[in-house]
Amino acid sequence: MKIISGLVGLLLGAALGLGSALAAAGIIGPGMKFGGAVDVSGWVSDWTIGSEAANPWTRARVARHGLLALTKDEAVYFTRNTDQAGDRLIEDCTYRVSGGEMPALWWSVTLYDATSYLPANKDRALSFDQTKAGLGDGGDSWSFIVSATGPETGSWVSSQEAGNFDLTLRLYKPTPELIADPEGVLASPAIEKLACGGPA
Amino acid sequence: MMRLPGIGLATFVLGFATAHFFVLDALPGNIMSKARERMTASGIAPHEWRMSPRVTPETQTIVRPSPDLAYAICVIDVSDGPVTLSVPTWPEYGSLSIFDASTDNVYAGSLDARLPDAPGARTVVVQMEGQYSGPAKGVDVVTVKNPEALALIRRLAPSQGLYDAAAALLPVSTCGPA
Repeated sequence: MKIISGLVGLLLGAALGLGSALAAAGIIGPGMKFGGAVDVSGWVSDWTIGSEAANPWTRARVARHGLLALTKDEAVYFTRNTDQAGDRLIEDCTYRVSGGEMPALWWSVTLYDATSYLPANKDRALSFDQTKAGLGDGGDSWSFIVSATGPETGSWVSSQEAGNFDLTLRLYKPTPELIADPEGVLASPAIEKLACGGPA
Repeated sequence: MMRLPGIGLATFVLGFATAHFFVLDALPGNIMSKARERMTASGIAPHEWRMSPRVTPETQTIVRPSPDLAYAICVIDVSDGPVTLSVPTWPEYGSLSIFDASTDNVYAGSLDARLPDAPGARTVVVQMEGQYSGPAKGVDVVTVKNPEALALIRRLAPSQGLYDAAAALLPVSTCGPA
């Protein structure tokens, strides 16, 4: 009985350990979020991404969902999958994303589906970046629409075929001030839900 | 009888922890190895720069690619000695980065020509401990623990014209034995 009990425990534990590791890495299911080491108004990052200092869960998740990610001296990555009200970002809704100056040499916001790939559409509206924001040309703020069909005017990122999605904010060559105090320095973009069930 | 659940619980915890951390530890290297295999299968030979197609939903091969960047990759193997990379700078944002076999970003150097003291070209030597004995001036030496690594160039190139300009720099970029 002791041997049987021990074997059953070992096998059950190994199976659960295997499954939980794959789940943590996002190979089974959506995966765990990063540890939340950096969370600026719902935009989540981890300063150890890409480095030897990353814990085993972060390393596995980055390998699965962010292979070839750079360390924080070169780039930082913030991801958000909810709007300002805390609701999940979904293809069926229309959102306005807005912000201002970003503490980096160059930045972009890109939409990815639940499998961490660009959504399978042909809209050629996959991201919004510093160049499109046009800051320094008289304005100090920017905004764009996220929706499955394009707006009549203004900048647009397409969520067609995205299902449940997230937005990734990349900040290349972030300022030292951002690295030292992300919550105090980053004016994180707002994601406002405008309508659901069709074009706004 | 009271001890039987204790034995089962102890082996359960042992099995859980062993399997959980073994898998977590192995995953990055396994994923990187598969990425290298896919690159090799697509015709990328070691020690040559290869431009990735412009990033679109149809061409993406790795997770979370940036559609605003032009990527070029070189598969590195330092089993037979160090490898030297030389890459021209770029008028906008750009970087040259090295990733080791366990996915760690062991080096990142700017290619942005606008930055102070930007070189005309960035030169990097990738080696295992003790392999490289050449000059160190003007060269960044990166030491990896395992012989397999990847080098990646990122250049801001959101238009076809800029992508073509980035591609035109590959013939004057090097990735090969030092």
